[in-house]
Amino acid sequence: MNRKKERIAGFLLIAPSILLILLLIGYPMVYNFIISFHKVPVNPKKAMQAVGFANFTKTLTDSSFYSALGVTVFFTLLVVVLSTAAGLAAAILLNRRFFGKKIVKALILLPYIVPSVSLIFAWKYMFNNTYGIVNYLYVDVLKLSERAPLWFDRPASAFALVVLFSVWKFFPYAFMSFYAILQTIDKTLYEAADVDGANGWQKFKVITLQEIRPVLATVVTLRTIWVFYMYTEIALLSGQVKTISVYLYENAFSMRDMGKAAAISILLFAMIFSFIMLVRKKVFRYE
Amino acid sequence: MSKKKKRMVKGIFFYVGILFLMAVILIPFFFMITVSLKTAREAIQVPPTILPEELTLQHYRDIFDTSIFPFLKYFKNSMYVSVLAASISLVFGIMAGYALSKLRFPGRATISNSFYCVYMFSGILLIVPLYRLLSSVGLYNRREALIIIMVVQTLPTSIYMLKGFFDTIPQEIEEAGKIDGLNYVQSIFYIVIPISVSGIVSVFVYAFMIAWNDFLYATIFLSSADYFTLPIGLNALFNRPDYIWGRMMAALVTSVPVVVMYAFSEFLMKKGTTEGGVKG
Repeated sequence: MNRKKERIAGFLLIAPSILLILLLIGYPMVYNFIISFHKVPVNPKKAMQAVGFANFTKTLTDSSFYSALGVTVFFTLLVVVLSTAAGLAAAILLNRRFFGKKIVKALILLPYIVPSVSLIFAWKYMFNNTYGIVNYLYVDVLKLSERAPLWFDRPASAFALVVLFSVWKFFPYAFMSFYAILQTIDKTLYEAADVDGANGWQKFKVITLQEIRPVLATVVTLRTIWVFYMYTEIALLSGQVKTISVYLYENAFSMRDMGKAAAISILLFAMIFSFIMLVRKKVFRYE
Repeated sequence: MSKKKKRMVKGIFFYVGILFLMAVILIPFFFMITVSLKTAREAIQVPPTILPEELTLQHYRDIFDTSIFPFLKYFKNSMYVSVLAASISLVFGIMAGYALSKLRFPGRATISNSFYCVYMFSGILLIVPLYRLLSSVGLYNRREALIIIMVVQTLPTSIYMLKGFFDTIPQEIEEAGKIDGLNYVQSIFYIVIPISVSGIVSVFVYAFMIAWNDFLYATIFLSSADYFTLPIGLNALFNRPDYIWGRMMAALVTSVPVVVMYAFSEFLMKKGTTEGGVKG
């Protein structure tokens, strides 16, 4: 009797969350799938027309789809690797006692918790073509160039800046996760390694990296998904960086081709899904 | 090298590292603050000044002046969306987190694992169907659309974090309550919630932050300036030809609520509980 009660309570308590997710994630995903096989009129009152695989062929024969995909994969790789490495480095650096630690720890989180929009204003100001501090240092003080570079207007430098911004904005997340797990590592492991005469790198490889592996896997997986889908920061910083999310947004809301946009998101989902499956296999193999 | 000397060199490297880290983090904030205190002319002066030559609080006065900038209106909209989204996410999260942590029922492990799949549908992925579905039920240009989406987007992490906090509550405490005749709902209210206050606050802050900082869904759903939240309101202001840098930077006050809440939740967390590994 008690068991039955527990079961019913469990179902009742979890039901609202499940219903909400089914309604706002499950159902939209199915609907997205349906849309991707239709031509969607701009007027919502008009009916959709079935067009078979036309949206998919349109996307897969569009050269800008492939260039956007290339940019996105490169971007994701750079941001995930760099922000994870920077977060881990900061966590290791702070994993000891020192004066002012609390303040340092709190300040690291600032880029992560402050709204991107405000941060982007500051970056745009610093990299402004005429009166930005960066160009002042670059051209007038260090004399690295005759003319001021237009940082946000050229694809290559805009890409580099968006990568830099994203690493700066998101490494605190990795930092938090790594810092928490580093606290749990048994200090005697390092002492034993010291006795065996291990150097810093060996200790890192054999002890630290092994102990943080589950967190590392989570951070990398989640961050990869987020960076792959990232839109706001990329679109606000520069119009020059055409990632797949910008491509999707433009198709949906500038060109108003919802059918094609739906097809793009199905393709994106398929990619992320296979990535996750691949990673899961790899992670499970270690265990 | 003597041991003492080696230690000193190590110490110097450590502090250089900390200084470098702080510089990287803080330089953009330094410019935000100094420019917000400079006059409009000084902000675009060449060569740029590091510290303001002429201090002014005009920009701060301007953003709170409703005839110049509807900052307060945007602020209210942002508050409305973020407080409601975070509260709903919290209530659902407590219920589900409690069930997953303390109750045994068939399918529990599967459900627990599949909440994580929601991440695969985050961000840009579902903008097309969500836009069409929510518009068709009359939620276009309604702040409520944003609330619903923010609840769903934050729910998996809320549940996961809360489950983590509830897991740390010893079974005996609850069993004692059961003996006293508490049912599950009473047990949540009288035992679980009071014990996990710091965890609950941190989940609220997390969900609030995600909703407060959202830009993507706000641009898609909100079309009239009356309903703008701060991120899109500020961005609209920035894209006008007559924007003033100082005013944009003074908009740094946008981040005050999240920063204060974050500091508060860290303060509550200070004792005892170790943080769960994942925060949105």
